[in-house]
Amino acid sequence: MSKSHTGMAVRMQRFLEHWGVLVAFVLLFTVSAFKQGGDFLSIENFRNLLNQNAAVGILAVGMTLVIISAGIDLSVGSMVVLAAAVGTTAMNALIEAGWSEPSAVVSGALITILAGTAAGALNGALIVFGRIAPFIATLGGLAAFRSIALAIAEAGEIRSQSPTMFSALGRGGIPIPFAENSAGKALTLSWSTVIFFVVAIAAQWFLSRARFGRQLVAVGANETAARYAGVPVAWIRFRVYALMGALAGVAGLVQSSRMNSVSTAQLGLGSELDAIAAVVIGGTSLRGGFGRIWGTVAGVLILGMITNILTISGVSPYWQGAVKGAVIVLAVLVQRGSRA
Amino acid sequence: MELPSAKEVGAAANATLPRMGVRGITVEYPGVRALDNVTVDFTAGEIHAIVGENGAGKSTLMKVLSGALTPNAGELLRNGEPSTLRGPRAAIRAGISMVHQELNLVATLSVAENVLLGREPTFLAGIAVDRSQQRERARALLDMLGAKMDLDRAVSELSIADCQYVEIAKCLASEAQVLILDEPTAVLGEHEARKLLQLLRRLRDEGRAVLFISHHLDEVVEVADRVSVLRDGRLVARFQRNTLGMLQSEDGMIATEDTLAQAMVGRELGSIYPPKGSAKSGATAAIELIEFGAADRSRDISVTVFPGEIVGIAGLVGSGRTETAEAIVGLRRPVGKIRVAGAERTFKHPRAAMRHGVTYVSEDRKGRGLHISLSSVANMTLPSLDAFSQFGGARIDAVAEHSVVMRWINELAIRCARPGLPISSLSGGNQQKFALARWLETRPNVLIIDEPTRGVDIGAKAEIYRIIAALAQEGLACIVISSELPELIGLAHRVLVMRQGSVAGEVTREQLAEPGCEERIVRIASGLRAERQETHE
Repeated sequence: MSKSHTGMAVRMQRFLEHWGVLVAFVLLFTVSAFKQGGDFLSIENFRNLLNQNAAVGILAVGMTLVIISAGIDLSVGSMVVLAAAVGTTAMNALIEAGWSEPSAVVSGALITILAGTAAGALNGALIVFGRIAPFIATLGGLAAFRSIALAIAEAGEIRSQSPTMFSALGRGGIPIPFAENSAGKALTLSWSTVIFFVVAIAAQWFLSRARFGRQLVAVGANETAARYAGVPVAWIRFRVYALMGALAGVAGLVQSSRMNSVSTAQLGLGSELDAIAAVVIGGTSLRGGFGRIWGTVAGVLILGMITNILTISGVSPYWQGAVKGAVIVLAVLVQRGSRA
Repeated sequence: MELPSAKEVGAAANATLPRMGVRGITVEYPGVRALDNVTVDFTAGEIHAIVGENGAGKSTLMKVLSGALTPNAGELLRNGEPSTLRGPRAAIRAGISMVHQELNLVATLSVAENVLLGREPTFLAGIAVDRSQQRERARALLDMLGAKMDLDRAVSELSIADCQYVEIAKCLASEAQVLILDEPTAVLGEHEARKLLQLLRRLRDEGRAVLFISHHLDEVVEVADRVSVLRDGRLVARFQRNTLGMLQSEDGMIATEDTLAQAMVGRELGSIYPPKGSAKSGATAAIELIEFGAADRSRDISVTVFPGEIVGIAGLVGSGRTETAEAIVGLRRPVGKIRVAGAERTFKHPRAAMRHGVTYVSEDRKGRGLHISLSSVANMTLPSLDAFSQFGGARIDAVAEHSVVMRWINELAIRCARPGLPISSLSGGNQQKFALARWLETRPNVLIIDEPTRGVDIGAKAEIYRIIAALAQEGLACIVISSELPELIGLAHRVLVMRQGSVAGEVTREQLAEPGCEERIVRIASGLRAERQETHE
């Protein structure tokens, strides 16, 4: 093998390490376009992709921060259902108590987010003050939080008692200028997508421009060195799990309002895996200390597109997990190089 | 009888070629030449001691011999033949075993399992471990060492001395012919150390080449058949037992603790040290330690440092210097009292210490002092990040941050073209300047700096000395911990010498100016008898 050849290989490797996610994204996008013809390239289709994946996207953004801190949170799916169950139950109770619909819906939404935050804070306390490994502490949360949600609803569905407003949050959105569907109706960008974008942009800001992000990266890269530099390590780690909980609450709100109900057995089931997969595909190092939000967003959309392609191609849903698994492992292999 | 026959074996082996040796070995790290054209032989039936100050290249030499490091130049000889060792496993296969300072045992496994780790006797075609045979062989090996211990106990429950026996038994299990020990007695008490030296003699008499590093010069003089002295990566003196049983160098010098210490440190103090200023007299003490120490690591340290004063702390590695410093800033549990600017304080976290102007620059630049994977900017401003934060931390004022980074780059003459790149891309000296600057930016009153020039080239060393001296002139109280004695002598107003967790002696400013002061410090640090001038207290 000639020298320039290996040089090329090395450069190729570096390039893929860095931009592999985007390459994969563009590739999949093209494949999808061919597979689905002109329909795929429509704004409507892309909007649907975003709407379908917004909740997982919100979780994945939070998970990126957790993983940058050299931690992991396996309980996100269970926090989603717990937060949604608590919030929706509270909203229903307020409506029955005679509160006006707007105030009940807003209170319910806040309670949903607060419940998620509380669950996340519990994770954080166990990890930081109880000195339990994140994997174990949140594995406990994975089991416990859903179990509480199931107990609240006796494993059933909690239907929203809000006549219109709650589902309006889930189904409404802001109109996209000049975009209409094939039937000539104006298209809207759903609130869930808007929230996903806001969360992603805010997270990116905090990661690169705020004190919290700096310290988070420092803790993830080398906790000991961070302690020596006077970084409040325990407080930072606690906050990142609480924040993850808050975002799980937001995701729970997005999902429950879209369904206008909470299915305690189904909601958020397995979404911890989707979130972690998106983070890994996005190039964030599982060792901590390095991560990027845009990579995670691309990772979420890649997973979404894969599901779409497989479904359209008529691949049995049973096989879809295998394909996703292969993609995740491939992503790690390609990005290995210096970091992983 | 056993003894004469063992001696015969030793004598026979002596006649053969050296078991192992190195020719013209050079090892370079970025900015530092750790070993410079070193040639040494290790012969069967001999105990060969390597001595030198910290940073003289001993550990690097051990790494080369045990296959952990490939030298930039020179060759490795085995039984007189040039050879290479690719990794520690290859070394072990070649009969070379190393006992590291931090022992390499599996804490949760039993004594017997550890002794035969990786060479378990098996049955059923290798799929099952033959427990009884494992115990039997471990027992035989430990008996050979004269060590009595329960074979089924987990290693985590053993004393350090017993762990060391297990480690040596492990080497014997691998049929090691060359045994390398890195400061084997550093962690042992007097009695245990004696026993270990006795064991080394036995291993030698059985025809092995025994090679050990030690800071305890009395041990070296007592037990070694040959001594090589390293200084600044060069082999500067060799001693060998003559017919009278004394260690003698090629030019006829007899090795004693004194002459060895001299050979170790014998270097002139150049002009790399700036002139010493004077401490602010009459000022309030910047920091006072009163019977202070790090829990379980050091005790009874009382020292007062005034603004403008540079107090050096000498002592061997493991004498509790770093632990004490860490306890001051709240990285370890302290005992005793600290007074900062007259008020009593206890710091629970470096952040709290920083708020009261007390800062600590770690000796371990790569592991603790800096975030090696992050940018120079992120490293530089991490401790003082609050000063750049706006809106409750929601935004870092990047412009102010950048200008501060550039100011320090100019002020300390840091060669750093692109502060946004990972700090690992800088040389050791420039990294060290950032490690210092990040704390200076917090405007400390007390700066504790641990090994200020470790892994730093000579030019940057001089600059760091100049910076420390200038800071002291401006009224900063400095505590400099160092294993490089010339550095302490050249920089400090006075030097405390620590030994086994407490202050064993103090060397005053006048004494620092006297010739022979390095030896004085080495003597105090290694616990030798007090010599003549030492008695005026």
